[in-house]
Amino acid sequence: MTTLNILVAVCGAYVLFLFAVAFAADRIALQGHKAWLRSPLIYTLSLSIYCTAWTFYGAVGSAARNGFEYLTIYLGPTLVMVSWWWLLRKLIRIGRTQKITSIADLISSRYGKSSLLAAGVTILAVIGTTPYIALQLQSVTLSFSVFAAEAHDRTPERLESFALWLSLGLALFTVLFGTRNLDAKERHDGVVMAIAVEAVVKLVALLSVGIFVVWGVSGGVSEALSRIDASEFGQWQTDRSRWAGLIFLSAAAFLCLPRTFQVLVVENDDESHLRTASWAFPLYLGLMSLFVVPIAVVGLDLMPDGSNPDLFVLTIPLALGENGLAMLSFLGGFSSATSMVIVAAIALSTMVSNHIVMPIWLRVSSTGASVSGDVRNAVLMARRISIVAVVMLGYLYYRMSSGGEALATIGLVAFCGLAQVLPAMLGGMFWRGATWLGAFAGLTAGFGTWLYTLYLPSFGVGTVLPVSVVENGLFGLAWLRPYALFGIEGLDPLMHSVLWSIAFNVLAFLTVSLVTFPSPIERLQAAQFVNIFEHSGSKRRWSGGVAQTEDLMVMAQRILGAPEAQALFSAHARKQGVRGDLPDPTPDFLEVLERELGSSVGAATAHAMVGQITGGMAVSVEDLMAVADETAQMLEYSAELKEKSEELSRTALELRNANQKLTRLSIQKDAFLSQISHELRTPMTSIRAFSEILRDTDEMGPEDQSRYASIIHDEAQRLTRLLDDLLDLSVIENGQVNLNLRDGLLKDALDRAVSSAAIGEDGAQLEIQRDALKEDISLFTDLDRLSQVFINLIANARKYCDADAPRLVIRVMQETDRVVIDFQDNGSGISAEAADMIFEKFARVSDQKAGGAGLGLAICRQVMTRLGGSVDFIPTKSGTTFRVVLPYRLAMAAQ
Amino acid sequence: MSEPADRPKPSPVFHEKRTYRQRRLMDAARLAPILALLLWLLPLIWPQSGDARVSSAAALIYIFAVWAGVIVLTFGLSRALGSRMEDDPGSDP
Repeated sequence: MTTLNILVAVCGAYVLFLFAVAFAADRIALQGHKAWLRSPLIYTLSLSIYCTAWTFYGAVGSAARNGFEYLTIYLGPTLVMVSWWWLLRKLIRIGRTQKITSIADLISSRYGKSSLLAAGVTILAVIGTTPYIALQLQSVTLSFSVFAAEAHDRTPERLESFALWLSLGLALFTVLFGTRNLDAKERHDGVVMAIAVEAVVKLVALLSVGIFVVWGVSGGVSEALSRIDASEFGQWQTDRSRWAGLIFLSAAAFLCLPRTFQVLVVENDDESHLRTASWAFPLYLGLMSLFVVPIAVVGLDLMPDGSNPDLFVLTIPLALGENGLAMLSFLGGFSSATSMVIVAAIALSTMVSNHIVMPIWLRVSSTGASVSGDVRNAVLMARRISIVAVVMLGYLYYRMSSGGEALATIGLVAFCGLAQVLPAMLGGMFWRGATWLGAFAGLTAGFGTWLYTLYLPSFGVGTVLPVSVVENGLFGLAWLRPYALFGIEGLDPLMHSVLWSIAFNVLAFLTVSLVTFPSPIERLQAAQFVNIFEHSGSKRRWSGGVAQTEDLMVMAQRILGAPEAQALFSAHARKQGVRGDLPDPTPDFLEVLERELGSSVGAATAHAMVGQITGGMAVSVEDLMAVADETAQMLEYSAELKEKSEELSRTALELRNANQKLTRLSIQKDAFLSQISHELRTPMTSIRAFSEILRDTDEMGPEDQSRYASIIHDEAQRLTRLLDDLLDLSVIENGQVNLNLRDGLLKDALDRAVSSAAIGEDGAQLEIQRDALKEDISLFTDLDRLSQVFINLIANARKYCDADAPRLVIRVMQETDRVVIDFQDNGSGISAEAADMIFEKFARVSDQKAGGAGLGLAICRQVMTRLGGSVDFIPTKSGTTFRVVLPYRLAMAAQ
Repeated sequence: MSEPADRPKPSPVFHEKRTYRQRRLMDAARLAPILALLLWLLPLIWPQSGDARVSSAAALIYIFAVWAGVIVLTFGLSRALGSRMEDDPGSDP
């Protein structure tokens, strides 16, 4: 009774110690001192989750029954760890890059995020793990019963209540430390630390018992070895198919068991820890299995016949009175059992909540996942309920199987069931051609075969499968007998099932994969998984929540430009009523953002980018960022280029125009020069000719003399007039003329012009019609210049009017802000082509009436421009009309 | 418009001696599990009947000796490959 009480006390203290360790580790992790918690040593020790109570106690039992076969259970994982370089490194990299949370998540993620596959693997895992949990409960209660028997207190009620309390305690521990935080990466510092401590305890316990047996009982290594040779399995004897098959099975299980996957991949914090674990974990396994055979041999020697070899680890020290060692051994077994249950519950609850509960909850709940806090609480609640459910399921299984022999073999049965995931997993990691349908077909075929040939018969013939089916096959078909498919008998049932289930699995997986075509997302994921080292850096992580929005912000800034993106984000933050500038990534906001981005980079890219940051893991974010950066740069660059080229072409056009103008000016200058030399030359020629005649002709009458002299005089006058005109034009054009502004009447200017120009030198008469009343307008302007213009116009009319009775009408019209004076004659008018030319220098309408140099109208125009008015040719039906416009402003200024 | 710095460069046909050695180390790391498996499958061809049967003690020593060898080999390889793990993907064809 004392022993039992002490045992309960020690057990309680140990559990409290574990709680404290887990709590302290969580606290330390919260304070950010993760380096110490996440050392390669802790990682290696946490891998020992593979060694459950079943291996702690059962290995000795197995050795006592089947000799060396127990070693295979350790050799398989050792081989896997040795394959770290090509297998585990890739698996862990995939797990980290794709944010894998469980083995079901891995399979689902690889095959196009299929929720069906995830749910299938989850169900498989639950079916395979529940008996295993029951096994742990059984082993602990069994070991407890040993002490109870010592104390002569072996009541089944107490044992069952002990199992129940144990289950509840484990569930509580797991809920407390397993669902504390809801990180995207499922890491549990407290739990991992507790497991590491338990790993040390179970190793120390087993080694202590082993050392005690070898040196304390047998008396040394050589004596122990000779004792082994002398025992009933002194010679090498093992079932060959089981030796090879179990190595494969345990290797597969090490990769596929939810709990080992959890610590190996999900809880991994640093890839480099694998380096240490690659040799340290084989060492751990080697030490765990080193003393198993000596213990078994000594147990068979010492213990009475019929005692349970599964409990030799406990019963040998007890029988030899080593109570302390027995206590340590009990704690080792207790540690193995509890750590397994805790991690299995965490792994399973993650799978169940993520792949079964949450999809259903999201579908059922009408609001959807629009409120982030909602989902978070729902996930945590789902996890807690799942943990309790999983542990209680194990307890129920234990109660129903009533701790019978069936449980002892269930470990390997579960291994075989979970090994069905292996083809889809390895195929997904190394073969891009593996498809969703292939994986589904393989899993279904393998799972079905395992169910029929191993799992259902494992409950005992006649319980689930009727005796007739086992003996005669399904539907009476002999080749469908569960232990002898296709009539092949004589195989060990376990190996029979492993062989056929894996064979069907691989066959279906490969065949269906070969004939089906993957969806785009599957192909993308396939490339990501298979070429993981080309797609990922080792330190890359995105966390959810506000950080997501920040990432979105960074991306949006790169694409939309900083001010635009900030405006967009803060506008939505205001709309959502969120403080600060970062809105929650709600579907509405994401839709808007996606549209905004879509306008810059295209809808598909925008969708991919937003999906990427907010959850989808199809393409690595950095890749997309790089693409976005490049695209933005290119957009900017091409916009710059476009602007520059536009500028260039504008400049070129201006240059071309300037060049044209220069060319025109040059032509004009040439024309002007030749014109002027011609104009100067004509009178000079006649002056020279007549002056020569006067000089050289001796006998000349005075009449002739006077005629020639007057010609010379006329020509000289013409020349002077021409030069005056040229000078005048040049002065006016250069703006050097000083206007002599004064008050005066328009009438006076017109009078002076008419009197000086109406009658030509040849006496040609021009009839002029005027309205004296209307001309009575006072002006403030340069009246002399104005008269010059009028004279020119009147003289032109006199010279060029070809009517029989030439007549000029001068009309004055007073408008609101200007005075308009029209000069209209009754001649034949000027052609349209000529009208363009008449204001140019030296332009003359016709050569035959060459009276002047053709500078008159050019001068008129220059003068009028200087006076702030204009002179234009007005096309009319009959005759020629020139219109002089004088701004009223100047006219008003006179009053 | 510069090239992204992390774009994978085409790997050269021949490597420097140091790189070459590293690659053979990776090959060794890949082959190690095969060697271990072969050695541990060797008991399959041990005679199971007659006088030539292997004694249990010898079998035990053999298996644990292989185990120790595997641990030492993996330890050496992991140390040698350690520096390659962070900076190089190491997945050459």
